[in-house]
Amino acid sequence: MKILIVEDEPSLREIMARTLTREQYVVEQAADYASASDKLAAYDYDCILLDIMLPGGSGLRLLEELKRRRSRAGVIIISARDSLDDKIEGLELGADDYLPKPFHLAELSARIRSVLRRHQRDGYECLEAGNVRLWPDSRRVEVAGRPLELLRKEYDILHYFMARPNHTVDKTALAEGVWGDHIDQVDNFDFVYAQMKNLRRKLHDAGADIEIRAVYGFGYKLVQP
Amino acid sequence: MKLVYRILLHLSWVLTLLLAGWAALFYFTLIDEVNDEVDDALESRAEVIVKRVLSGREVATSAPTDNTGYILREIPAEQARGRSQDRYSDEEIFIPERDDREPARVLRKTFRGAGERWYELTVMSPSIEKEDLLEAIFYGILYLYLCLLLSVLLVTVVLLYRTMRPLYALLRWLDAYTVGSRNPPLKIETSVTEFRRLNEAAERYAARAESLFERQKQFIGNASHEMQTPLAVCRNRLEMLVDDPRGLSEEQLGEIAKVQHTLDYLVRLNRSLLLLSKIDNGQFPETEEVDFNALIRRTGEDLEEIYAYRGIRFSVQEQGTLRVRMNPSLAGSLVGNLVKNAFVHGAEGGEIRVRIASHRFEIDNDAAAGALDAGHIFERFYQGTKKKGSTGLGLAIVDAVCRLYGLRIEYAFRDGRHLFTVNFPE
Repeated sequence: MKILIVEDEPSLREIMARTLTREQYVVEQAADYASASDKLAAYDYDCILLDIMLPGGSGLRLLEELKRRRSRAGVIIISARDSLDDKIEGLELGADDYLPKPFHLAELSARIRSVLRRHQRDGYECLEAGNVRLWPDSRRVEVAGRPLELLRKEYDILHYFMARPNHTVDKTALAEGVWGDHIDQVDNFDFVYAQMKNLRRKLHDAGADIEIRAVYGFGYKLVQP
Repeated sequence: MKLVYRILLHLSWVLTLLLAGWAALFYFTLIDEVNDEVDDALESRAEVIVKRVLSGREVATSAPTDNTGYILREIPAEQARGRSQDRYSDEEIFIPERDDREPARVLRKTFRGAGERWYELTVMSPSIEKEDLLEAIFYGILYLYLCLLLSVLLVTVVLLYRTMRPLYALLRWLDAYTVGSRNPPLKIETSVTEFRRLNEAAERYAARAESLFERQKQFIGNASHEMQTPLAVCRNRLEMLVDDPRGLSEEQLGEIAKVQHTLDYLVRLNRSLLLLSKIDNGQFPETEEVDFNALIRRTGEDLEEIYAYRGIRFSVQEQGTLRVRMNPSLAGSLVGNLVKNAFVHGAEGGEIRVRIASHRFEIDNDAAAGALDAGHIFERFYQGTKKKGSTGLGLAIVDAVCRLYGLRIEYAFRDGRHLFTVNFPE
């Protein structure tokens, strides 16, 4: 899988490149409009991470160019401007997703996987880890081919981790991802522990070979066999 | 003090002084004139008597003993010398017939008759009662003063309110003016130069305030945007460290978690500021019908689970259905912030009660301490008691959403409970 990162902030570009390389992607980088345009003209990519505000021009123009050339690359707009206009224009121009800064790296890789999946399997979405499979569209879960019944929050947690395998997730980020924005003043995470305990027991009882492992003092991580 | 009262006050004391001065002048001039006339008459009467005496004819020493007669008496030469010829004075003359005193003008004339005999002639003439005159003048002036004052006041008030109409219109406009909201244009027709200049100045300063406000908004927006990328870099570097396959010790992970929580706070703060500046800039155009009953119930249930450790009960009393066309994510912010505040700031083990009616909803919760400062709670970064993790922007966002949609939010403290009411326009 080949990914192009178009981002002018060198430090952020480097972090993204290193993370994605670690996840076995082939990564190329462009720091401004001109070099991004050159690279897009010369090579094909599976996924493009596109910053909108670039030295030398707007990322949205690159998007138009891609559309004109009927590129099949998935595009995720990465922008500091969490502005609706940019989002709508970007999505209308054919971008697949919109990720406002600052994002979690786990979130970035989850979005990339989702975009790649959609492009390769024509919208048929299924997350797979070990012998566990999860269909986000129908909220179904199977372990070794047998369906697994989960409560709403248990399912949400499993989905969150299946989209971010091998990433250590901070419990605050998990709570925010599953319970929404209102957890900012919580100083007791018992509600996370309770749901997590039930989910892990259900996975274990169903014979799943993946494990959501607690990382002491920090959070959790989905570990595959 | 209103302008009209001030003008009336000044007018009345100026009138008082003027009329008092005029009354004094009038009185003294009048007395002077009367005395002059009477003195002339006395003089001619005295002259007749003196001529008679000098011509050697027999003259009665006194004529009627009231204040119209005269007294002629001979005086020693020594006494006469050194006395001036004519002396006028005002005196009270006792009239035996009436057993009363009457005012009189008196002329004392000393003259030398035949053969070194000196006489003193006292001629009297009745004169006006000065006290009566004073009284008459006083009342006359008083009535005049009152009449004048009344008419002047009347004219002033009418004139003032007529000519000052543009001023009052301007004042009303300024009172209603709020920077950053849609204000009606200042339309005041006036031919008075001063008022025109005042209007122009008001418009100029309003425009200046508007542009400063605009720049401030842009600054907050830009500053927050500029911070997004560095925040992303910090957060992501820490995440890379945590995911490092070589592994970190538990203590190191703990430290990183702490840094990340501080970063999360910063990200939240930045996001809230951006949200505020976006609301102020009206960047939430898309609306849909929001079912507040469902939204409040869902928010309450979610938060009850999250804040279960605080042991707060949450109940909704639905007296009506509240459906409003607005931006769904702003409706979420409005309800979320209010309900979350009730969970975070409410007394532990207390109760949160929500009442929903067709045009308003109320949230009240047990207060952990006394009443909040209603004048400041909606200000940005105002925090009565500093809570960990709180940005101090929650109620400012609530207020901004309310302002955007013309909702009225009220705070009250009743029976030891904080009560927030959001009223929707009918």
